[in-house]
Amino acid sequence: MSLIAKKICMVGPFAVGKTSLVRQFVESLFSDKYHTTIGVKISKKQLQIDEHTLQLMLWDIEGVDAFTELRASYLRGAAGIMLVVDGTRPTTIGQIRELMGLVHSFLDDVPLLVLINKCDLKHEWRFEQSEIHALQQEGVTVLETSAKTGEGVEAAFRRLAQLMLEVQA
Amino acid sequence: MNKVLPALLRHLGLLVLSRTPSNAFECLSQVPDWFAEGLDSVTPGLSRASLIDTQSLGQAFPFIENFLHDAEHVWRDQSTPQAESGLWTEVDPLGKEFQLEARAITLEGQHLLLIENVSHSFQERHTVYQKARDIALLNEKLIAELSFRQRKLQSDIEKHLLQQQPIDDLSDSVDRNPSAVLVCQPDGDVELYNRALVNIYEVDETNNAAGRSILDKWIVEAEQQHPEVSRTLKSGSYWEGEFETSDTKGDKKWIRLCIGPVKNGLGEISHFVCIANDLSDYRRMADDWGSISDYDYNTHLPNRRQFWKHITALLETEKNTDENIALLYVDLDYFKRINDEHGHFAGDFLLGTMASRLSRNIKHGDYIAHLGGDEFVILLRFIQSEDDVISIGERILVTIGEPINLDGTPLRVSASIGVVLSPIVDTDAHSLLKNADLAMYSAKELGRAQVRLYTPELETNMPKRSQREHELLIAIEQQQFVLEYQPQIALCPEHAPRVEALIRWEHPRLGRLAPGEFIGIAEETGSVVPIGDWVLASACAQGKRWADNGHPTHIAVNISVKQLKHPDFLSKLTEILNRTRFSPMLLELEITESSFLEEMEQAIRVLNQARSMGIQVALDDFGSGFSSLNYLKHLPVDFLKIDRSFIHDLPEDIQSRAITTSVIHLAHKLNMKVIAEGVENPQQLDFLKNNAVDFAQGYLFFKPMDSSLLEQVDWSLPPQK
Repeated sequence: MSLIAKKICMVGPFAVGKTSLVRQFVESLFSDKYHTTIGVKISKKQLQIDEHTLQLMLWDIEGVDAFTELRASYLRGAAGIMLVVDGTRPTTIGQIRELMGLVHSFLDDVPLLVLINKCDLKHEWRFEQSEIHALQQEGVTVLETSAKTGEGVEAAFRRLAQLMLEVQA
Repeated sequence: MNKVLPALLRHLGLLVLSRTPSNAFECLSQVPDWFAEGLDSVTPGLSRASLIDTQSLGQAFPFIENFLHDAEHVWRDQSTPQAESGLWTEVDPLGKEFQLEARAITLEGQHLLLIENVSHSFQERHTVYQKARDIALLNEKLIAELSFRQRKLQSDIEKHLLQQQPIDDLSDSVDRNPSAVLVCQPDGDVELYNRALVNIYEVDETNNAAGRSILDKWIVEAEQQHPEVSRTLKSGSYWEGEFETSDTKGDKKWIRLCIGPVKNGLGEISHFVCIANDLSDYRRMADDWGSISDYDYNTHLPNRRQFWKHITALLETEKNTDENIALLYVDLDYFKRINDEHGHFAGDFLLGTMASRLSRNIKHGDYIAHLGGDEFVILLRFIQSEDDVISIGERILVTIGEPINLDGTPLRVSASIGVVLSPIVDTDAHSLLKNADLAMYSAKELGRAQVRLYTPELETNMPKRSQREHELLIAIEQQQFVLEYQPQIALCPEHAPRVEALIRWEHPRLGRLAPGEFIGIAEETGSVVPIGDWVLASACAQGKRWADNGHPTHIAVNISVKQLKHPDFLSKLTEILNRTRFSPMLLELEITESSFLEEMEQAIRVLNQARSMGIQVALDDFGSGFSSLNYLKHLPVDFLKIDRSFIHDLPEDIQSRAITTSVIHLAHKLNMKVIAEGVENPQQLDFLKNNAVDFAQGYLFFKPMDSSLLEQVDWSLPPQK
């Protein structure tokens, strides 16, 4: 069975845990220390979905902040998008729609999952659930993850992989 | 040399690949280990092959594969000078990370892919970003926490009011709360406020009425930044936000405020519950932390503060050596003009690009900093001779001068570089910088785009520019300016006499100076506005005299960008016309394209108002700047002046011919008349007449002259046929 290579882009505001999610998924490691990403780092991970073996190329893209915009050319050829936000930071929830718009302006019909990260700190989550409900009503898949505990991480990548295969089919 | 160059490229961490016609890549430099390992991991031995196929390259380096799409665009389209990939991180087989950046350019017809290992400077860059994002994160969390507490307190008070419990029950708990609390009725009657409110605003505790006035004040101030406040509150909705305010002493404060209207059983607003916190300390702290950062956020280079630390430490540690140190002071030419004409975002992009070019021109161990604005400094060590440092400076000039694409417009910029070379033992940081700066000014004075070496003689000759600035202020005060007038000759049936008013400076020592000698300085120092006002008033006064003598003459007056954008421009114009009683129908304002490139709508509004008074408008130097035919149709313009550079090359130059005829045609289609300036010979005139230009101006007819001389010559010629 041949490998199916797929590119996944991790996008989102800065310091929401994109790099930690990739590290948890690829190496099952986590560090509490915030180490900001500059530019892009690509990691690889194989994933078995039913009879398919996927070679995932995970593009961990520098977070968006006052000094850095999402460079749309990095999204070229992506088969799936993980849009990551931080449940403890309401401002990042507020950036979901803007980032989705940016992604969709560059990519058509590519599966996108919104990950609300840091679900291990749910007691500190401070955002309007209505915003998330509205997104879900519109058909956006929103999942909760914790790069720290690993909760929901593998499942999220599997879900995206399945969606990517469905699109391919 | 054939061996040295690849070795040098390797030393600089630069991999150079040339894309062949068969879409493979040939390595022009030595193959670095990281590249060989990457290729060999895909196809063993590939790194030793003479050509690398695109597919293998992409498999080994997916980031490069993605970048090749952008590269292809550059290689195909000559108007795009280069593409940059941005930074990415690779990991070697031992797990060690390293950072790369790629560029695609076409040189001498070859499609090149340059990949630079930037790991040596990455840590510095990472430290800056880490610090900035740590601060931003902390600030964001503090504000989020505060916001949460404000909402909770507001909600508790609202509940209390809805349960119709006595408001006095809240007094004790509210008074201890660190947030400022104000509860009032819609008519302004204050029911509750606390000590924190008094502390923030320094209001008199006994003055209960202060409460309502503060709410009114808040709304007025908040609306300057959040125009929706009143509307939101009137509709009975909750509002929160941050804005700048001032206390009763006039001290500025940053306030985070939430206002929650409380509705009674009838749905009417019964109270406003306002919670405010003073964020001034957070803001100040963030500013302080930000300023502690030693790096410029735009260029990612060390800033002035870091430069001083670095040079001071360097000179101290190396003071007992016999080393030389060289400092290059690089100042971009006409940066302000680019900033004004293209906007600040483009200016920042330009600075970022230049910083990156300069960084690539220095070797490991040298140092570069961005002092601010358009000024950079480069410190070089182990320099043996002045010739060496001048040659480095000249190389930098070439790099800076490469085309840059700004908003789709290819542009070349230049720089003036001042150089100082000194033994470390004989110098100090202040002298080095001062002398390099002096040399840089000398380069500017000599016409820019050059390198000048510091010599002690400059000390006596150089204050020329600052002296010129000073003299200009005296000139304004003593009115040392005169106007010359240059006739514009009708080539069309219209036969109204027309002149352009041109300023000259009657310098006490240097004689009559043309605007090129002083307008640049006037623009930079802002004195162009009073000078422009003087020109306008003098031209109108002269025009009135001519009209009174039976020679009504159209006068075109140059208006600077700063003048046009000045909020008092229209009122000054009206005042001058009223005072001189010159007919606005005879006045023409000559503006340049740059007047429209920022705040276009405002410029159009001002010019439309001027036109409604009967004044006409001419667009000067059309084609010389960053002309866009697209916006021309929106401009309130009656005349288009074709830039002299196009006229100069007529009729021989094919491009000038094409541009000139197109501009004439376009202007006529848009109901504008065309003036050709700089007409110097009969061949140019013939071409212009054949192409239906309406007016011509230039030495072929008349040089600019004093009004008295003009009155003696027969310049009101009939239309040229």
